[in-house]
Amino acid sequence: MASTLKYVRVPPNSANMEEARKRVFEFFKTACRSIPTIMDIYILDDVAKPSQLRSTVASEIRKNAHVTDPKVIDMLLIKATEELSNIVEHAKQRHHIIGQYVVGRQGLTQDLGIKDQGNSNFLNSFYSGNYF
Amino acid sequence: MASVLRSSILRHIRVPISGALTLNGSDLIAVRSMSSHGDDHLDKQEVISRVLDVVKSFPKVDPSKVTPDVHFQKDLGLDSLDNVEIVMAIEEEFKLEIPDKEADKINSCHLAIEYIHNHPMAG
Repeated sequence: MASTLKYVRVPPNSANMEEARKRVFEFFKTACRSIPTIMDIYILDDVAKPSQLRSTVASEIRKNAHVTDPKVIDMLLIKATEELSNIVEHAKQRHHIIGQYVVGRQGLTQDLGIKDQGNSNFLNSFYSGNYF
Repeated sequence: MASVLRSSILRHIRVPISGALTLNGSDLIAVRSMSSHGDDHLDKQEVISRVLDVVKSFPKVDPSKVTPDVHFQKDLGLDSLDNVEIVMAIEEEFKLEIPDKEADKINSCHLAIEYIHNHPMAG
């Protein structure tokens, strides 16, 4: 596969948001192209579909969509590439993948959402972080 | 010494085989009986229906709004990351790998259908 993981030789050094955005999309495409390999390694055929995994990757990326500093985006991309390399080189195990990327979406995250809905904004931001 | 002799003999023995291969090769090119990538591209209707299926099965898309001319970001209200995701889904469906320059241009169903229809290796 042409764009499967090439280890990042040049550390990303985005000059502006446009370049950072391009790098994000490149990472996303690399991740999507590695999905068949991942499903093969961890035998995820019964548990998840490639489209679900793609959506999961996209939502993980979207969680940091509010970031405005290109250097922070670079740092996040480095972490993401590291995570993807770990997964592809079988450094993780099946339950890690299932817990973090398959079940997490429907099981845990949604539950949290339903519980929080009735609360106030103050409590929501209180639970999620220190700065509000 | 023996190996030199052997290789020289083998060289002589091998020549007719490669000749036979090229003969077969030219025959194949003429007849195309064994080529796995047919020389006809995919049927346009089939391309349209498969691309629309891919777009409709995208979880954020309302299937009733999907037409062959719909624009991903303007009509379906998706953002650029969703656009890339749809292009990746199309890549998976048609077993292609679309280079970045082309993929950046695919912003609507119409462009996607055009690209796939013109691609000789679409599966």
